[in-house]
Amino acid sequence: MKQARRWLLLAAALTLLAQPAYAQKKKPKGGTKGAAPTQEGAPAPAGAAPAGAAPVPVDADAEPAPAGAPPPAGADTGAAGAGAAEPGGAAEGGMDVCQITPDAPQCQAAKEFNLAVEAQKPIHAEIYAVQQQYVIKSGRFELQPYFEITLNDQFVSHDAPGLALNYYITQVLAVGLNGNWYQGLNADSDFNFQNRREARIAAPLNEYQASGDLNFTYVPMYGKFAGFGDFIFHYDAYIDGGVGFIRTRPIPVIDPDNRKFDWNTLINFDVGIGLRIFFNRWLAAVFEIRDLIFFDKIERLTIANGTGSNSATSPSTWYDPDTHFTNDVQMQIGLALFLPTSFEYRLPK
Amino acid sequence: MKPRFVSAVLAAVALATGLVTSRAAEAQEIQLTGPLKGAPAVRQERLYRKGRFEIAPAASFSLLDEYRRTILAGGRLTYNILDWLGIGVWGGFGAASITTDLTDRIDQAGGAPRDPLTAVNVNHLNNPSGGFAPFAAQAAKLTYVAAPQLTFVPFRGKLAIFNKIFVDTDFYASGGVAFVGVDERGNCGAPDQLKCSNPNSFKLTSTSKVTWTAGFGLTFYPANFFSLGVEYRLLPFAWNRAGFDSKGSGTNGNFPDGRIDGQDEEYVFNQLVTVSLGFYLPTKPKLSE
Repeated sequence: MKQARRWLLLAAALTLLAQPAYAQKKKPKGGTKGAAPTQEGAPAPAGAAPAGAAPVPVDADAEPAPAGAPPPAGADTGAAGAGAAEPGGAAEGGMDVCQITPDAPQCQAAKEFNLAVEAQKPIHAEIYAVQQQYVIKSGRFELQPYFEITLNDQFVSHDAPGLALNYYITQVLAVGLNGNWYQGLNADSDFNFQNRREARIAAPLNEYQASGDLNFTYVPMYGKFAGFGDFIFHYDAYIDGGVGFIRTRPIPVIDPDNRKFDWNTLINFDVGIGLRIFFNRWLAAVFEIRDLIFFDKIERLTIANGTGSNSATSPSTWYDPDTHFTNDVQMQIGLALFLPTSFEYRLPK
Repeated sequence: MKPRFVSAVLAAVALATGLVTSRAAEAQEIQLTGPLKGAPAVRQERLYRKGRFEIAPAASFSLLDEYRRTILAGGRLTYNILDWLGIGVWGGFGAASITTDLTDRIDQAGGAPRDPLTAVNVNHLNNPSGGFAPFAAQAAKLTYVAAPQLTFVPFRGKLAIFNKIFVDTDFYASGGVAFVGVDERGNCGAPDQLKCSNPNSFKLTSTSKVTWTAGFGLTFYPANFFSLGVEYRLLPFAWNRAGFDSKGSGTNGNFPDGRIDGQDEEYVFNQLVTVSLGFYLPTKPKLSE
């Protein structure tokens, strides 16, 4: 077992070595490294560099073409033909934009392209409602520390810190693990005691120690918000689900003199829905509602009065004979850190 | 020592590799230059709220109730002065009141015993049809809520679902003063009142409470003239949900005193989830610049 632990650590180290997570498909071989790929059937964007030129930055459409760079194949680099538009639209009258901002991309491009010819080319533009996702998740790890509070248990709250680690296989699908530690934070509500004292009736109570799950996460929704109409931030929403374990035990309230329960390890299923609000391309706030579903063992409401294995001191008489379907609905608030913190886009925006 | 040393070295390598490969985070930040510099974040934005009335029928569901769940049927009426600020009223009446499993168990065989120890807290009156007077008859319930409120809408955006469905969305927070109607067990046990073991003392009486309320929610706009909304709201106030005599004597007043009065009320952050369907007048929103 000691050997295995070392090998696991070595494997983790080797896995991390391969991390610079290029969140896009491999570039084609043949010396086009750094060239701006173009959409199939669509003309190259203005200012796009040819093969062998410098890499395309994220805001490629705001950058002028490199000085001396040859135009794309098929482009007419000669003087604009008859009817060609003036750079900046001065031919239509009004102020020439290029006189004000000669460095503007369209002014640079207009020196190299015959805009009239370019305008005649068929365009198969594909416009997305949300252009170029703000964060590329594919190939990255997400480390998610959080704190969860109970939403649906008025008898005992099961608050817990937790940690999740997800790996995004694609932009929308991740696999990961998460775990919560509840012990020490289970809180028995005052109303349980009042109910027992005033009505002489007890509700069986359970506390949790820990839980852990293997989860799959799917991200079907993403978008952006304008804050106060001034700044824009991005978010996505996800659903997740999986299977794991939870360790619970009853809090003895029916016969606390005799009963002392050990932790039971139970299988649980979990489903959740979450929202991630990105502060930047590697850090986000996370809000999630998650339901842990399991069959819990609760304290028996009656006290055995027999002898031997049927006595009040026999653990076999302490549990209710039936298991109880339990939903532990939690609200989680935390942070998401994406590693590695940098990535490259496959296409210019 | 040797295995621990090797493990420590490997762990250090793993950590260092992670740190080294996670540098250069800001390489892709966009710096706006040229004509877009200083331009508004959103142009031609549909102003779903500014200058419009919202009439939103709604249903609110109480959460984490010990003895009785309430479904409020009502709605929200808002005039949106600006796209980020509205004034209006939210409210509803208790359309349904559902007992919890605990309440049912108190009445069941083997439930709460009717003896001198419980005489003040559980009605011992025999039902003509058998059993005792139902415990639900003494459990408090919400009867109405009316809350004048302000609504702030700090965030506005759109949601893409499966890259196929696009919905304009906003996030809002609202808060105001709430007038809450509650039916709860009346006072008893004082010299000029019924004894608390008297079956007639278990009757509910109507009271009103004034408190604050605050909530937040999301509004989805599938069309120009209507929206779907979901909201979470706090409605805190003190009430005696079970009609028990829990406090009033002993150390810090934490022991029963044989009376039902204000000391037996407990301050609770009551929680509600509301779903709504909003309609807007005028039906067509304005556009920003």
